[in-house]
Amino acid sequence: MAQYSAELDGVLIALADPTRRGVIRRLGRGPTTVGELAREFPMTLPSFMKHVRTLETNGLISTVKSGRVRTCTLSRDRLALVDDWLAEQRRIWTERTDRLERLVTYPTENRP
Amino acid sequence: MNPDLDLTLERLIRAPRTVVWQAWTDPALLAKWWVPAPTVCRVDRLDVRPGGGFVTSMSDDGVEFAPHLDASFLVVDDLERIVFTNAIDSAWRPASPAPVPMTAEITLSDHPDGTDYRILVRHGDPAARARHADLGFADGWGSVTKQLAGVAESLADR
Repeated sequence: MAQYSAELDGVLIALADPTRRGVIRRLGRGPTTVGELAREFPMTLPSFMKHVRTLETNGLISTVKSGRVRTCTLSRDRLALVDDWLAEQRRIWTERTDRLERLVTYPTENRP
Repeated sequence: MNPDLDLTLERLIRAPRTVVWQAWTDPALLAKWWVPAPTVCRVDRLDVRPGGGFVTSMSDDGVEFAPHLDASFLVVDDLERIVFTNAIDSAWRPASPAPVPMTAEITLSDHPDGTDYRILVRHGDPAARARHADLGFADGWGSVTKQLAGVAESLADR
């Protein structure tokens, strides 16, 4: 749970920036080189590379270097972490209801 | 109810409705089930009335507490229904809780064997929030303000 939460935090932090979301959207159309990507965003290459590294560190993209060209690919399974939030909320509410039920069904055991 | 965003839960609880209500509205009892053990729950505010605050904290060691929930009750029908949202915090300030804001509606009704307990949680749309940010919300407001200024100035010039 703590592990899942830390991973989800990383993904959400990575997505909490318009440039990085732009990169994700662009990579949704297929793998692209860093050079091509960088041209689409109005900033210096070092600044852009910081965003690429954040995305890579949090597992949202993978990059492969071939010669002098680095190609970025979207890691779709990682994005699925974001989609799983509803399942997580369901689990929280179900377990919460289990605990409430135990408390009120066996009051002498659990109540002060 | 939107199946992509909301969740429903129904449970027959074999206890009287008054007891279930008490477990929800008595801070000492709520603290016993609100978060999973061994995490310790502290109920900081439980002002069960429309507009009342609902604030809980949690702790691993029982000494240092971290925020857990900061919400407001929207509707309270005695012994029947509780609705609260974390989209408005206990100070009535609009909030953006993670992962998405929600409104929870808890309904209690009598059942021959106890209480029919129903939960409906309506969530905001995380994709919508991301889209909102993508479209440059700040820029949008900037241009609206510019338009307003333009209209105001043209009126003032008359």
